[in-house]
Amino acid sequence: MHIASGFLSPPVWAGAAVVSGGALAASLALARRHMDERRVPLMGVMGAFIFAAQMVNFPVLPGTSGHLGGGFLLGILLGAPLGIIVMASVLAVQALLFQDGGVEALGANIFMMGVMPCLLGAAVRGLWLRPKPGAATYAVTLVLGILAVVAGATGVILLLWLSDSLPHSISLVHALGLMGGIHAGIGVVEGVVSAAVVRFVLTMRREAVLGPLAADYAKGAAP
Amino acid sequence: MTAYNRRTLIVGLAIAVLIAGVVSYFASANPDGLEKAQEELGVAGPAHQAVEVPAVAFQEYNLKWLGEGFWSNAIAGVVGALVVLAILLGVGRLLARGKARTPGASSN
Repeated sequence: MHIASGFLSPPVWAGAAVVSGGALAASLALARRHMDERRVPLMGVMGAFIFAAQMVNFPVLPGTSGHLGGGFLLGILLGAPLGIIVMASVLAVQALLFQDGGVEALGANIFMMGVMPCLLGAAVRGLWLRPKPGAATYAVTLVLGILAVVAGATGVILLLWLSDSLPHSISLVHALGLMGGIHAGIGVVEGVVSAAVVRFVLTMRREAVLGPLAADYAKGAAP
Repeated sequence: MTAYNRRTLIVGLAIAVLIAGVVSYFASANPDGLEKAQEELGVAGPAHQAVEVPAVAFQEYNLKWLGEGFWSNAIAGVVGALVVLAILLGVGRLLARGKARTPGASSN
């Protein structure tokens, strides 16, 4: 879903860069509060994992593939500020070293695959941190996981439309429907994989996931 | 480094290396959702000035000098994952500086 170079107009990519730059600055400022020495390695390996997972394109429809976004998963495991920092790092390395995603489109890509899905993931983080996440947690995670991908995908189409990069014979609604439809399938995989990875990491490394909240949970005073 | 952190690193990195180095080779080569949508919508190519980033070492997810292949893909994937890891360990360490481990929870 990385927007390649040359598809966004200067006002659009510059605007997106300002928004994502602001979100990244705010994340760095907020991150210290969410930080804990045990979260550093988790942050690092989650970044490496998302980079790796994005290399694995799986078939969705005939002739079409998709890969994990990862922002939604990071929002759940690390919260929005740390998740956004991780996602921005992954996307920057992809754009600068691997020609994956345009350099000038980095702000737009960070917003659609980082800021927005990380915030949606952070919204369900509380459900997962309860002692026994139930069926409702899985259901909400699946639905929001699909939403995160579809919102990012349709957001990309909106940016392309604003950049005058869609043929004029195509209606915006048609383009949004096509892009949203393809990505609904990818979103199902995103939701399921996110839930599975969160479950695995919570089992293995609950304290690193909780971070500074660990003390509250240990006292039984879960927020 | 504590045993807890060392184990997080080793296990996490092993999983990432396995995916980036091995599993990724078997990825679908079909266009991704955005590329497919652009194709179907008849987007011919970039409408604006494209910015070329020089391929320093990698041509997409392959080593520049090796072309496409299992090892080329594996080296590119593992190096990329390690670069991301290194950046984040650096940023994370800066952010965690002066912060002790949260008391109240046990760790091994």
